[in-house]
Formats: sequence, C-alpha cells, structure tokens
Amino acid sequence: MNRNNFFIHLALALVLILVAAFAGQLSRWRKQWKPHIVPATDKKQPTTVDEIALSETHNFGRAEVLVKFKSGVSDEAIEALTARLHDRIVDRIENADDVEAIDDLDNADPATVVAEYSKLPEVEYAEPNYEIKLDDTNGPLVPVLPHDPQFEDQWALANSGQRGGKKGADISATLAWAKTTGSENIVVAVLDTGVDYTHEDLASNMWTRPDTMAPYHDNELGTIDDVNGFNAIDNASDPMDDNGHGTHCAGIIGAEGENDLGIAGVNWKVQIMPLKFMNAGGSGTTKDAIEAINYAIERKKAGVNVRIISASWGSTQRSRALEAAIRKAYENDILFVAAAGNASTDNDRTPHYPSSYNVPNVISVAALDRHDQLASFSNFGVKSVAIAAPGVDILSTWLGNAYEEKSGTSMATPVVSGVAALVLAEHPRMSVDDLRKKLMASTDPIVALKGKTVTGGRINAAKALE
Amino acid sequence: MANSKNDAVENARRDLAKRLKIDAADVKERSVEDADFPDMALGAPEPGEMSGQMITRGWRIQLDAQGQTYEYRADKNQVRAYKFKGKNYRI
Repeated sequence: MNRNNFFIHLALALVLILVAAFAGQLSRWRKQWKPHIVPATDKKQPTTVDEIALSETHNFGRAEVLVKFKSGVSDEAIEALTARLHDRIVDRIENADDVEAIDDLDNADPATVVAEYSKLPEVEYAEPNYEIKLDDTNGPLVPVLPHDPQFEDQWALANSGQRGGKKGADISATLAWAKTTGSENIVVAVLDTGVDYTHEDLASNMWTRPDTMAPYHDNELGTIDDVNGFNAIDNASDPMDDNGHGTHCAGIIGAEGENDLGIAGVNWKVQIMPLKFMNAGGSGTTKDAIEAINYAIERKKAGVNVRIISASWGSTQRSRALEAAIRKAYENDILFVAAAGNASTDNDRTPHYPSSYNVPNVISVAALDRHDQLASFSNFGVKSVAIAAPGVDILSTWLGNAYEEKSGTSMATPVVSGVAALVLAEHPRMSVDDLRKKLMASTDPIVALKGKTVTGGRINAAKALE
Repeated sequence: MANSKNDAVENARRDLAKRLKIDAADVKERSVEDADFPDMALGAPEPGEMSGQMITRGWRIQLDAQGQTYEYRADKNQVRAYKFKGKNYRI
C-alpha cells in the first residue's frame, strides 16, 4: 500500500466511525424525543403475562388516575377543571369509554386524587391507573371510599386538600381499606374518660363481656359487673363517658364505617373496650390508670383478645408503678400507644409520661396538621417520640350522637392505635414486638419531622398492611 | 354541673379570697379572656394528675388582690388556681 492509499483508507475509516457514532447518537436522541404520550389509537391493552411485562418496561409517563367525565362535559370544561386542580391530562383513551388519563402535578397519592375527582359533579367515576405487578397475585389495590356522610371532612384519612390542606397529607386509609377494614376479633382498650357506648356510630363496635364470661373479680375491688367495660374511678361497672374525650378517641379508632352515619373510623369493624379512669374534667390518677390497665390484662388472660391500649393522656410526672403496669401489658402482648403531649416541648429533655417510658410496647405519638406540619402544640423528641399522625381539627364522635372537631396528640394517638388494629386484623398472630416494628417501618417521610421524631414520618396505614 | 363564664369567675374570686383570708369583695376582676389550654387540666395539673392531651377551650381569669395579680383557668367543667404560690389547685 502506497502512502496515498494509506491516507485514503484512514480517512474512510474515520468517516465510517463518525457516521456510526452519529447514527448511535441519533438513535439515543430519538428515544429521548419519543413523546411520553402514546396516541390512544396506537395503544393495545396488555392481556397476556408477557404483554403485561412488556407494558411495564415501556411504561412512559404513567398517569396517576383515570377519570371518566359525564357525557355533555366539554373538552374545554375538562381542561379547565384539571387546570384548576393543578393536574395535567396526559392522554385521552377513546377506546376505553373516553377516559382521561390525568397526572397530578403536586404528586399527591392516587387515592387522594381519585377522591378529589370523585366528588366533582362532572365526573362519572375516577380510579387509579393501577401499576400491574406480575407478582401481585391478589391484584392491585383499589381505594375504598366509604359513604359515611361526613367522611369528606376526615382529612386525616383522605386529604384531598379540603379546607386548604395539603393533598395527600393523610394516612392512606382508603388504600389500606382495600386490604382490610378491620376485624371484630381485635379488641382495642380505650383508657380514657370512658366511651359513650350508646353512640349510634359506635354502638355496633363496642366490646361487651360475653355471656359466657364471669363478671370481673379483683381481690381488693371485689366482683364488678363489667358488661360494658371498666370504670376505675368508682370501681363500678359503668364506663359511660361524661366528658367526650374518650368517645372522640374511640370514634377515631373504630366508628362504624359504611353505615350511612357520621364518620368512618380507621377501623370500620373492631371492638372498643372502654376503660374509664379520667373524670368529667378529663383528669385521672395514676392508681386508677394502673387498675384499668390491670383490668385489660386480666381480661386478656381470661380470653378477650385485647391487643392494644390507647392512651391519649399524660403528665410530666414519672411513676414506677405505672411503668410496671405497662411492662406487664407488654408481657401479655399488648401494645401501648401514648400521646407525646401538648406542651410544644422536647420529650428528650423533658419527658412526658407514659409516652416516655422505655418499655418495648410503648409507642409515642406526635401530632401533625393538615399541611404535614408538626402541630404547634405537639411535643417532639428525636429519641423519645416514635411517630406522628394527624392530630389537628380531627372530626370524630362526641357525646349525645354528636360529632366534633378536636385537636391534640390525644387525637393523633388513636390514629396509630387504629392502624395497629388494622395490621392485627390482617396478621392476628403478630407479636407486639413485630407490630411495633411494623408501625415504625410504615411511615411517609415528612420534612417537618426531620430531627423531631425517631422515624421522621407520618404513619401510613396502607404501608403497614404491605 | 357545667360552669358558665360568670360562674367560673365567681368561683375563682371566692377561692382566692379564701386562700388569702380576705373578703371576696376585696378581690377585683382584672381580665377574663377566652383561651386555648394545652390539655384537659388546662395546663395547670396538680401533682400526680394525668390529663387528656386535647386542646381545651376555656377562660383565663386574672384577679387582683392585695396588690398582686393571680391567675385562674377555667372551662365548663372546672376552675383551677394557676401557680398560686407555685402550685396548681383544682377547686
């Protein structure tokens, strides 16, 4: 090869390399430029397992929800509605009932967006754009929205941004309910001011002593006819609430769902055991709290499936006797969910009891508002406060078949108790240690909680059931 | 029995007179204002008392006697002396 031929071949080789590189780059650009919206007419719904797998790997720009607007609603109206909700139409699926595929630009969870659209008079139905997983043998979760008339005011369960709140700042209850709405086999003791067990939204979820079980007997207190629970103040049989606080907490845990009345509890079905130790003013003594805890433990030993004690109360005074009673509850596989307190203080520095007792079954709960901010009143503690839950403007049951909105770590506590009961409904044999671990691992990280609680997150009921 | 605001002020006035061992007429109402207290003990728990951790609407009552101002806290269920000589009392 002469010198000229060599340079000609070298030049040709360089040109070929450049062309190949350019073609490769073109291919990459083409992929990047590929529209995220595949025209509906080009779409073929996957039907076989292989097609589903393929659709998963080519799932560009997946929309969050699918919305069917009522006939007669114009395209302009639909676009205006979605724009008003800060959403984006990513596709119109003509072959599937003229459904709009909508993406929420605020990244709210699909259940919240579904709830938001379902309420609109222009909408026929809305559902999540389910992610199809090959290993999900039970099928995707379908958010479940109860028809209880005041459900839309329960932002803690489904926050659609009502009253200026943050969409999705909730416990994902509607997705959790796709798995379970609770079980009447789980008994949650509400250690409080008593419970109005005649409230129309609670009555069917109240524990009553089975006919086959003998009345409660205590060597010091004697025999007590505990048909509706226990009253430690007068050691009599009637745990009727004379304040309202305990009734409110009970409704958060287990107001009957889907009964066309009032609200839905975190559990639609559960058994609430009233343990009254606080008086009409909302205060109680250590001794009465211990007696009520002992009652729950003894009833568990007698066969009642008490798995959770919900304690929406406290003080800054430590009691070794109370701590011992809670430890005894732990030894009997009972979770103890306790309010972190409302003094806006750091429990790592100024402990609040019983939430600060270092006993393995205690889970301390801080309160969040509807904007995912730590409530202004809520105690916190990166070492001592485990978890946070909604606790501001919480609607629940009140005395006399009424409903009221209340705020406090008192209200956040039964949210966590309720989620714990849901978990036990799915996993009835789960130990208290595993239950606590499960709750701690089932949070959504919240910026405002960083450095404020152990988990730095808001409890998520759907995650707790995964 | 549920307290009205007036009942609460009157109960507070009588309690302060008793504690100071003076005539109730010598206790003057300085101010009464609506307030949200951090818990059901109105942020004024007695030693060993545990209370519901619910924000509680009530009244902050300030009374003057013997040249000093004293605070009481009340709601429909209760009246409490707040930090009277360093201690809280439910009356």
